[in-house]
Amino acid sequence: MASSFQRRGIPVASFVEDVPTFLQQYNSDPSTALTALQEKLQQYKIAEMKLLGQKRDLQSKIPDMKKCLQIVGTLLAKRGSGEVMKMDFEVAEGIYSQAQFEDTNSVCLWLGANVMLEYTCEEAMELLTKNLDTANTSLAAMVEDLYFLRDQITTTEVTIARVFNWDVHQRRKQRSLKVDESS
Amino acid sequence: MVMRGGAKGDGVETEVTWEDQQNINLFGRINSKFHELEDEIKAKKDMAENLEDASNELILADEEEVRYQIGEVFSHMPKDEVEERLETLKEENTQELEKLNKEKEQVLAQMADLKKILYGKFNDSINLEED
Repeated sequence: MASSFQRRGIPVASFVEDVPTFLQQYNSDPSTALTALQEKLQQYKIAEMKLLGQKRDLQSKIPDMKKCLQIVGTLLAKRGSGEVMKMDFEVAEGIYSQAQFEDTNSVCLWLGANVMLEYTCEEAMELLTKNLDTANTSLAAMVEDLYFLRDQITTTEVTIARVFNWDVHQRRKQRSLKVDESS
Repeated sequence: MVMRGGAKGDGVETEVTWEDQQNINLFGRINSKFHELEDEIKAKKDMAENLEDASNELILADEEEVRYQIGEVFSHMPKDEVEERLETLKEENTQELEKLNKEKEQVLAQMADLKKILYGKFNDSINLEED
């Protein structure tokens, strides 16, 4: 049976065992039921869109995090080798300048809100790895939530189709009854 | 996702059980999974091409020192180190691509099974095809 458990405040779309019994809630009027179901479906779709947007945001952040990790990783790898590193960096759009740096033990991480903090390379590595892990975990949770929403959407869609079919079927029966009577 | 009980109404009413509903839901999930996989595979294939292009260019390059982009900056690096890095990246990319392709095959097989079950029960009252 459908469990009534929720997820992120999303209610479960309960499965309808029997259409006529289900329609009793709506005074056996299929069109009222259909309107109610359509409304529910819309709500689910809005929730899905929101969640998809959040997922896209997060997904676009992950490559940035990986880039940061790569740089810190490179710095760590070169450390102690006494090698001077030459880097071209962008000062303004399309304009690059060259920087040279020898052994460095710290990097500054942009924390957001106009704050930058200096970390040792190890600490930076740790922090960035942790951030990446967190991002991956919440991404996985989001994917699960999306699957859950997908289920609710499908269930509601199927219910709509069943109510609709039941209605068509009912009308046809009535029509054939009338034809029988008149003949 | 196309999933509509047939509005054609052939007059035959098929009971939909909770089990059927679960199968239909599962199909919906797998279908969206399939599309995600397709996107990821495409991204990896593009990546593979870019890496290939980069190594080809590197072979043609005369300079001993090339600029290698890490994040936002270009690091000056000896050619062979860049070559090494590209090889590792290619290796990783190929492995990930293989993994994704395997997953896609599994997903396709699962979809085929579900289609058999669902079409078996609902015939043309259900449409599981895309567009």
